[in-house]
Amino acid sequence: MTLHPFTPFVLVGGVAALAFLLPPPVGPVALYGGVLIAALAAGMGGAAVAAGLVLLPLWGFLLLLHGILPGGDGYPAAVAQGARLGAVATASIMLLRGFKPSRFLDAASSRGWSLSAAYLIVSTLQAAPRLRARAASILEAQRARGLRAGGSPWARVRALVPLSLPLVLATLTEVDDRAMALEIRGFRSPGVTRTPLDPPPTTGRDRSLRWGTLILVLAASVWRFG
Amino acid sequence: MSVLGLDTITFRYPSASADALAGVTLDVEAGETCWLYGAPGAGASTLLMVAAGLAPRFTGGSLSGQVRILGVDPVEESTRHDLRGQVAWIGTASDIQFSQVAETVREEIAFGPANLGQPMSRIDAAVGEALERLGIGHLAHRSPAALSGGEQQRVVMASMLAMSPALWLLDEPDAALDSAGKEIMARVLREEAGRGSAVVIATGDADAMLGRAGRIVLLDRGTIAFDGPPRQLLADELAWSRGPGGTSVAELARAAARLNPDPRLMAPYPLDFDEAMARWKP
Amino acid sequence: MEAVSSPPLRMEQVRFRYPGAAAPVLHDLSFTAEAGEGVAIFGRNGAGKTTLLRLAMGLLRGAEGTIMLSGRTAADALPEDLAHLAGFLFQHPETQLFERTVAAEVAFGPRCLGWDAARIDSAVSDALQEAGLEAVRNDHPWDLPGPHRRLVALAAVIASSPPLLLLDEPTAGVDRATRARVRDVVRRRLEAGVAVVAVTHDGEFALEALDRGLMLDGGRIAADAPVAGLLGAPGTPALPASAAIARGLGLDLARPRFDAVVAGLASHWPICA
Repeated sequence: MTLHPFTPFVLVGGVAALAFLLPPPVGPVALYGGVLIAALAAGMGGAAVAAGLVLLPLWGFLLLLHGILPGGDGYPAAVAQGARLGAVATASIMLLRGFKPSRFLDAASSRGWSLSAAYLIVSTLQAAPRLRARAASILEAQRARGLRAGGSPWARVRALVPLSLPLVLATLTEVDDRAMALEIRGFRSPGVTRTPLDPPPTTGRDRSLRWGTLILVLAASVWRFG
Repeated sequence: MSVLGLDTITFRYPSASADALAGVTLDVEAGETCWLYGAPGAGASTLLMVAAGLAPRFTGGSLSGQVRILGVDPVEESTRHDLRGQVAWIGTASDIQFSQVAETVREEIAFGPANLGQPMSRIDAAVGEALERLGIGHLAHRSPAALSGGEQQRVVMASMLAMSPALWLLDEPDAALDSAGKEIMARVLREEAGRGSAVVIATGDADAMLGRAGRIVLLDRGTIAFDGPPRQLLADELAWSRGPGGTSVAELARAAARLNPDPRLMAPYPLDFDEAMARWKP
Repeated sequence: MEAVSSPPLRMEQVRFRYPGAAAPVLHDLSFTAEAGEGVAIFGRNGAGKTTLLRLAMGLLRGAEGTIMLSGRTAADALPEDLAHLAGFLFQHPETQLFERTVAAEVAFGPRCLGWDAARIDSAVSDALQEAGLEAVRNDHPWDLPGPHRRLVALAAVIASSPPLLLLDEPTAGVDRATRARVRDVVRRRLEAGVAVVAVTHDGEFALEALDRGLMLDGGRIAADAPVAGLLGAPGTPALPASAAIARGLGLDLARPRFDAVVAGLASHWPICA
């Protein structure tokens, strides 16, 4: 099941909005349930598990705060909060995992949107693994020279400089080289429409998902504030 | 037909105390291969960036003189877009040249032609041909970021090839390649020159030029010190007095000649093993 | 004064498999690098060369067998604990530079090791001199061209005078003049009694700077011989011009380095007036 690249963004936005509009505790729980079912249906059960793992300590904290310790709002509040976080986290991870950079660019281009903005979004999302790999190799290099990353809080803060500065400097010096490479390859040539490599059609399913999300959010707002 | 014309080019980087290029005049014809030979800092990389229209646009600095590619000015705002896709520029650090938006090698190679608005049928044909000529068909569905340095360099080459450029500007392209990769790149550049493209390669390695066609331009502190056949330069003292030296074999002969001015060791020096044996082991 | 029983690097029956990998990368690998010995490691990609270096530096854990640096076990040590016993020059070390001056960058290692100011100053001056960088000691490392940043990283690694140097492709992508400087630094370190182990595809560097060659194949040592004897074989770098000329002219040289071949060439014919 392939969706138009913009649809997941609309869906995640809708989930976030509904998480706070729907009346607790049933609303958020039903929402989370719905997101989990969608994840399983889309074959992205892994995303649900990943979100769950990330949130485990937070859920424990919520239980403690609202359920066990005196002065909290009770278990239903903890469940509602937990479900809100679960829904948004799961939907976000599904978005990130399903993100196809080239199709996103194509989608932006075929709608005449700014290619620069689209490129910025795409390259930022794609930059994470590279940055992580580079940070790891910088950490290795500095440790091999004797840098100790543990110890007192002050020592830890000071250790940040030899770890982060090279990363920043390398990334900044690359910016010009990347811009030049893009230019040579004809990016953003004025008067030229970029050929979509994998044209993402907006199918009926996309349209109904997007409009459906919008309507749900509007209905929930009316119900909540009306 | 002149593909690249540089006329009295003088360029200085911002807040630099000296010109990086001073009065450089150079013409490269269709089908010609031109080697830019010089020590680091002599100006070869700068010359390539000026020729590509990238300096001073991205580097800052001041440029005087005329640059023409196929008769068009690549620096002037109103005309440079006519040259889109006509100039290939390849540096040493491959992964910086990737688009960052391609998930597969295929998509990466297609990035250029897609930007140029070419129809899908033409893009598919160009990508297929580039994959085959660079011998990377088996990498078509791999992620560009996961490849080795040598493989990445070949993908960058394929990406440029897919745009069918008229002018190739390469800055030390061999550095990350193994001998198989070097052979493939040399063959592709030969084919491109044969099809009428102009090829300009900057290198500091005299041995890299052995056995390959082309004329050599020696750059010394931003000026052209020699422009002619490689054999003439590399076997002569000029390669040392104004350049980074000669081939490995020539270096041996020259050092030995200092100890023993035997005519067999003096300039013109032998350039490779076969010439050395012919001269020294009759 | 290292005792003979604790050489700068000793690996015995080392076996290593990356987590999740089907096959081990290193099989029962045993070799020792003595003080003042220069070892070149050759082999195809994937043969385990870089893995060997990384295990020695404590960057990889979980190897079976013995890995000792100057008598200290590396198997469960952290890299920062081994920093005074081994210096590691990474590929593309230009990306680890961060200080405002070359001198400060070179001082980073000794500072981490807790040396006093006077000792640091003297170590920095020595290292800069060995790498030929005194003229740029107050420059910002990122203002220097790429090959010179490589030299800064090398100076930074030798500044803390470790008895073992682990170099990963130290001359890759670097111009001839800088390659010569790297060679000079390695030669001087060897003279000072340091053991140098370098993974390299540069046959000329291996011949000029190092003595012994190890060829790795499939995680095992396939050959262990003087460098000159190994070059030119399949899986090793091509024979450098000096060695080829020496062989072609029948010059009998155990180590056909540039200077030796030049001398041999010059005396091949009677000296002209």
